[in-house]
Amino acid sequence: MALSHLLYLLFRSTVLGLVVLLAACSTVTPPASVPVPVEKQQLPEPKIVTPPAPVPRAPPRPTTPSPSAALQPLLAQAGQATARGDYEQALALLERAQRIDPGSAAVYLAMAQTHRASGDAAQARATAERGLLYCVSDAQCNALRAYTR
Amino acid sequence: MFRTRHLVFKLAFFALVVLGLLMIYLDARITATFSEKMSELSAKVYARPLELFAGAALTPDDLAYELQVLGYRTVSAPRSPGEVSRDASRLDFYARGFHFPEESEPERLVRVEFSGNRIKGVLTGDKRIDLMRLDPVWLGGIVPRQGEDRVLVELDDVPQVFQQGLIAVEDRSFYQHWGFSIGGIARAIFNNLRSRQVVSGGSTITQQLVKNYYLTSERTLVRKLTEVLMAVLLELHYAKDQILESYINEVYLGQDGPRAVHGFALAAQHYFGRSLEQLDLHQHALLIGMIKGPSLYNPERNPERALQRRNVVLEVMAMQDVITPEQAATARAMPLGLNRKQRMRDSFPAFLDLVRRQLPKDYREEDLANRGLSIFTSFDPLLQRQLESSTDAVMAQLDPGDKLQSASVVTRFDTGEVVALAGGRKARYAGFNRALDARRPAGSLLKPAIYLTALERPGQYSLATVLSDTPLTIRAAGAKPWQPQNYDRKAHGDVLLYQALAQSYNLASARLGMALGVDNIVDMLARLGVEQGVPRTPALLLGAGEYSPLDMATMYQTIAAGGFRMPLRSIRDIVDANGESLKRYPLEYERTVGLQAVHLLHFALRAVVREGTGQGVYRYLPENFAVAGKTGTTNDGRDSWFAGFSGDLLAVSWIGRDDNGVTGLTGGTGALKVWAHFMSRASKLPLAYRMPDDIQTLWIDDQSGYLTGEGCPNSRMLPFITGSEPRQRTDCAPRDSGSGVKDWFESLFGGGG
Repeated sequence: MALSHLLYLLFRSTVLGLVVLLAACSTVTPPASVPVPVEKQQLPEPKIVTPPAPVPRAPPRPTTPSPSAALQPLLAQAGQATARGDYEQALALLERAQRIDPGSAAVYLAMAQTHRASGDAAQARATAERGLLYCVSDAQCNALRAYTR
Repeated sequence: MFRTRHLVFKLAFFALVVLGLLMIYLDARITATFSEKMSELSAKVYARPLELFAGAALTPDDLAYELQVLGYRTVSAPRSPGEVSRDASRLDFYARGFHFPEESEPERLVRVEFSGNRIKGVLTGDKRIDLMRLDPVWLGGIVPRQGEDRVLVELDDVPQVFQQGLIAVEDRSFYQHWGFSIGGIARAIFNNLRSRQVVSGGSTITQQLVKNYYLTSERTLVRKLTEVLMAVLLELHYAKDQILESYINEVYLGQDGPRAVHGFALAAQHYFGRSLEQLDLHQHALLIGMIKGPSLYNPERNPERALQRRNVVLEVMAMQDVITPEQAATARAMPLGLNRKQRMRDSFPAFLDLVRRQLPKDYREEDLANRGLSIFTSFDPLLQRQLESSTDAVMAQLDPGDKLQSASVVTRFDTGEVVALAGGRKARYAGFNRALDARRPAGSLLKPAIYLTALERPGQYSLATVLSDTPLTIRAAGAKPWQPQNYDRKAHGDVLLYQALAQSYNLASARLGMALGVDNIVDMLARLGVEQGVPRTPALLLGAGEYSPLDMATMYQTIAAGGFRMPLRSIRDIVDANGESLKRYPLEYERTVGLQAVHLLHFALRAVVREGTGQGVYRYLPENFAVAGKTGTTNDGRDSWFAGFSGDLLAVSWIGRDDNGVTGLTGGTGALKVWAHFMSRASKLPLAYRMPDDIQTLWIDDQSGYLTGEGCPNSRMLPFITGSEPRQRTDCAPRDSGSGVKDWFESLFGGGG
């Protein structure tokens, strides 16, 4: 157990290091010491290899800023709905959140939690599996992974 | 004496009984059908509401267009709901508010500030709004019985002046009478006697409605009496306002090609390109005047007569004190004010068609008949506008002679929602909905099913597996031996699996499909969501069968979503008059294909547009904007297909002829252009590269498929499911350096950096 944990940590730090390296290399102009804002946002999850930052289109195309201010109220309302057992309402709110930010792992996680709470383990698993493609932090990925088992 | 009186009494009694029976019959007819007719006027279909929040990818033009479709009026400073003013980088508007199933959006003055192509902030007064929804665009109504779509209004939304003007001209005593007017009847009888036929006139609004609903246009006394009886019964059953509303939505006001223009809301769109509420007095008067003779006073064909009639209406309105004499004089001085060229589209027939078909059967009859049903859909007017203009632009260039047809389906693959649909080149006209009903062979669009089947067997296949693109003869029981050909009629020898898909080699694909077994390909298509029209024969491998653009969208949707099958949805929610949700259509995922195999397929589909048959997309898209897709061409270029996705949208486009004739186009020279033209303007997000667990990337020799080192001849990086990597290695030693990903993306997807 302890050994596997150690191995896991070792593995993770290696992968993380690799990703930092790859990410730095994948920028358009990589001055070695300057971290690139794009990667800063998306870096933490080892499983995501960020594609090179797109060379700006005619008007600069920044990476999508996270519409977190818009999402938070919906996630909060969905949480309340789940808490009182109104899963349908919770899922409706979460689908709205997903339309606003389709790449949000937090929304997938909340959906998986809601499906699980409503007793639909199969949907919980499928939703979490899909969410795994979007998670950006270990905590988030692990939380999602827990629903896939 | 007594006998005579008795006879009279008997006759009178008999007449009464007959009349009573007739009344009962007519009453039954009215209650049975009028409720249904009224309810037909109320199953409303809405587009998705536009979400506004800081960071949303939306241009000022997009928002302005959405508000325009919603009928907001441009003013210098918005003061009441439905008004908007625009500045260079911001829009101020007075939101109308809307009751959504879960919550209500209030009426309020809103300022949206933009920075480039994004919303910078949404404010009301000094207060920041985190998230709000506009009122949703009303697409039309669904009439369950006839399946036609209309633009309908509620009486509350009909301007007062218009209502009063209508009553002043058509039926002065509408709010007093019982369905008929004695004077009118007397006049009708008198005229009848004089001219030996019943001439029109003298009909109340109620009578006209009855006539429109139930009766033929023959002019006999019996029909006139039936009309009066039914009008009285109608008045007994329904309130004046309900009758007036139905009339406003029902009255016939001319033709739009093959389609009858019923109702003032549709007529307002048809003749003026605006909603009824947006029209000015002189336009209202013209519409009211047209009731008397929609073709006689047609402003397009008989502008002189229409103008005279309009001015008579204005005079009547002034006489009846609906408007002041000054208003009448001003309006009389106005031109007709037609605006057919730039008119807004009155309906989206192809999408409504999809909604109608996706309504569950039990909703068609009973629940739709509940007055006040609302159907909320995923339709996106902004994407629809782009899809139509892209279709127009590309088709005008490809086929100025108007011989070819085109259809497209657009979805947001994260949620599986259909957001735009073109059923033909003339999207405005209801008609053959090719997006749903054209059933054609799909050509190479089906090939991903073969390659996915292979990639799901990592023990046997990887992207670097060497396939043989050499001639073969396929002998199936009961069929002639079949020798497939490549498009260029050449054989390409040994090719790597991903190259065979990228170049759409038929020989290699047919060999691979035969090795895997046709049944397994049929099974894969079913897992991707395509179950109808799939023939269980070898020709399937090269796209035989009958598939609609919607079928292909279903297939590519599953691929784009990473192997999760979701039914393509157009309906989000059905809500009753009280705002209670009757039925939700929740998002449901079903994992049907392995994530890793789909990941490898994505890679190959990216290669299609970078180095294969789909390279043409980058004549439209920015070089660094990652997408994945596949071309499809059927025999002799009868059908030209392209299916593909970016980071947010999936689209399938088809071009062909209704008579199934030769188009002279391949997928790459035809449908691809519609697709890429659309995507380059509509998609806001390139396809991201997200690697699932158990995938590793390795340097491969592009000729032999062996492992090799970075910087070695023909080296390129490919992803592999762990354990499926090639066993053999070239002699070239790996170079020690760690900048792999960049080179890899540049060599394959970076677009030559």
